[in-house]
Amino acid sequence: MTANHEIEARLRETAGELLRQKRVDLFLGYEKASLPFRTTPLFLTSPDEVERLVWNPFCTVNLAVYLPRLFAAPADPRKAKDLSPPTVGLVLKGCDTRSVVALIQERQVPREKLVLVGVACPGMVDRQKAERALGEHEALGAEEDAQGNVRAMIDDEMEVALPREEIVSDACLECRFPTPLIHDVLLGGPVEPKDRDVARRLTAEFESRALSARWVHLQETLSKCIRCNACRQSCPMCYCKECLLDQTRPRWVGASTDISDVTIYHLVRAFHMAGRCTECGACARACPMGIDTRLLVRKLSQDVEDLYQYRPGEAIDTTPPLSAFAMEDPQDFLTEP
Amino acid sequence: MTEKQITRTDLDKLLGFFRERGAVYAPAKDEAGDVALTEVGRAASVVLAYTNFRLSPKAFFFPQNQTLLRFNDGRAEEVGVIDRATVLFGVRPCDARALLALDQVFLDGHQDDPYYAGLRARTTVVALACMRPASSCFCTSVGGGPGDGTGSDVLAVALETDLLLRAQTPKGEELLSFAADLLADAMPAAVKEAQERIRAAENKIAPVEVANSAERLRKAYDSYVWETASQKCLGCGTCSFLCPTCHCFDITDEVRGGTGRRVRTWDCCAYALFTLQASGHNPRPTPKERWRQRIMHKFRYAVENFDRPFCMGCGRCIRNCPVSMDLRTMLKEVGP
Amino acid sequence: MSESQAAQETALETSWEPKIVAFLCNWCSYAGADLAGVSRIQYPHNIRIIRVPCSGRINPVFLLRALQDGADGVLVSGCHPGDCHYISGNLVARRKFALFKELLQYAGIEPERVQFTWVSASEGGRFAAIVEKVVEEVRKIGPNRKLVKVP
Repeated sequence: MTANHEIEARLRETAGELLRQKRVDLFLGYEKASLPFRTTPLFLTSPDEVERLVWNPFCTVNLAVYLPRLFAAPADPRKAKDLSPPTVGLVLKGCDTRSVVALIQERQVPREKLVLVGVACPGMVDRQKAERALGEHEALGAEEDAQGNVRAMIDDEMEVALPREEIVSDACLECRFPTPLIHDVLLGGPVEPKDRDVARRLTAEFESRALSARWVHLQETLSKCIRCNACRQSCPMCYCKECLLDQTRPRWVGASTDISDVTIYHLVRAFHMAGRCTECGACARACPMGIDTRLLVRKLSQDVEDLYQYRPGEAIDTTPPLSAFAMEDPQDFLTEP
Repeated sequence: MTEKQITRTDLDKLLGFFRERGAVYAPAKDEAGDVALTEVGRAASVVLAYTNFRLSPKAFFFPQNQTLLRFNDGRAEEVGVIDRATVLFGVRPCDARALLALDQVFLDGHQDDPYYAGLRARTTVVALACMRPASSCFCTSVGGGPGDGTGSDVLAVALETDLLLRAQTPKGEELLSFAADLLADAMPAAVKEAQERIRAAENKIAPVEVANSAERLRKAYDSYVWETASQKCLGCGTCSFLCPTCHCFDITDEVRGGTGRRVRTWDCCAYALFTLQASGHNPRPTPKERWRQRIMHKFRYAVENFDRPFCMGCGRCIRNCPVSMDLRTMLKEVGP
Repeated sequence: MSESQAAQETALETSWEPKIVAFLCNWCSYAGADLAGVSRIQYPHNIRIIRVPCSGRINPVFLLRALQDGADGVLVSGCHPGDCHYISGNLVARRKFALFKELLQYAGIEPERVQFTWVSASEGGRFAAIVEKVVEEVRKIGPNRKLVKVP
């Protein structure tokens, strides 16, 4: 597996070339953030600034989330004829690439306007896990070492080594597509998934609990929800101009933290992700309250795979399962007299 | 103002004593290991070693949702505030100062918000001076400090073996006199130790260029920096919801047949629908207008209208933004 | 005592009757229910019918709202696959229903609370039998306490 600094160098070269040759108007990547364990998205338009691009274990944001808005019709329709959509190059991990594929299928972004720079990804660091691992100490800086682990610099000039597997994002532990399946350029890799069955084991464990225990767990998890909508906003597949859950005519779901409304919000959002969620984990990372937002949709993804043999984001020329049907679709769920 | 002290080991006893007059909330670890203001039970396991809570204490005065009135078959009834005296112990000075900003919004003297006023009146705030500011903290640049008692009723300072308690308001005096039997007069050595510790904490906080923010922002209104800086914003609402001074809200009716309630819920100017009008026109159509508005509101309009920035330097927005936006960077980019 | 046992106890103490909301497609199921009525086939009065043009119209949020607003159970019925008045509405719906039913059970909601079926316009007897079954199943598990919103 190619070391990150090599990938970073090639990424900067690639981005520089694309921008210089005007093959892209905009290049989306990551740059250093002001706090450790993080990077921040970078919207690059000039080839002279490619040195700002970084590639490291903290490149967590799913950059596909910005695509629907880059290709959306302008707010002022009178401007539509003057503007043409940009060509966008972006750096994508395996999960991010799946989101792009799904967005192309749903006609939110045109394939010909994208240059996909894929990077095979061994798993990214969850900053909340890393911070919790440090306990009372605050990291003032963090870097990857030669073994892929993270070295955190603490306030009293101490260094703490954080083993990668202890602070890698939960979604990354379940990843089955670390190497981007669709790409124009591929950096690093290929990376094989370590364990394809983690997600299945998690849903099996949850299903083995009694019905009422599952409900109690769900209610406890969701009781922390403050209805900030960060999970929805960070998801590349949530691009509706007006979300059903915000609609006021009629008001389907109340806006308060009433546990019944909170539960319906999460059930509906999970259901809207059926066959569309690419398991990137952006929702769980965005949640300021640390809720396991992937609990419900993980099961739905498996059901879609089992019932309709479909995994979102693998190939552009497939039909999303809820836009299709077959006469022989299973129907054992029906009630018979 | 009264200055008292108590040994740290007697803190649980003091909080237990306060429970005789009502509810007491103090910092304690939750199952995830995070410290939050939790209601104190018989056996309090209060934690004093933390930087700050995830959620700001504004929820005790301006909750995420608050029923304003109920209606049933054409008749409306006002919902009163349950008059249960509450003590909040361990609020950081930045969050306590934020209450003064919220007071300027909700208790302006012309149309005091009764829902906020009720909760404010029944709550006594005991701030705990900060000894471990985070690298994202900048209270000293916005008029506050780790040992600033403004906005609180009592300022507590944790020393080596004792806790210093300094009343800041008549309400604070009343709380300290209620517990007079448990408290000793503050010794000069304790007062000195408090000063030294606070100074040490102040020195750890890196300054941020907030001076003349109103003027600088006025000049930079049409700058290109807003376009580039706002591109990353997801409009997720995390910053507003965690911010101790953000106070925008929405009011909706939840109706079932002839019964229902009118409820106020937190809203966020970063949401795309925040300024969407019934005609379909949106004066803040893209993240650029919304991000600019956010910074302007905090560092220009608030300064012009309320003589203070509506930012207390708590750093929550910086720590929790899913795309790591940092308003300190924005303030630099705005220029001189 | 578990939640469902508590609910059952309440049911026995009061004279609780399950409230079932039924979403019936206009062309088949609603007509089937109508036929049951015209044929004087008795079926439990616990059912409250909402007519929709097609089972494909059903948005899962309707079913959740019904439970939130106090329904003890929800029944959704459409045309048999192949017979949809709009050709494929029920086929699209079938996938949604299959996934949604799994999701609710995974979340810890009793599977008896939300049920799906196909009833054609000529199946008055079948409709009545299904209603009997659904009402009895919901009666056994007691009033819905989950998802109910106290206004």
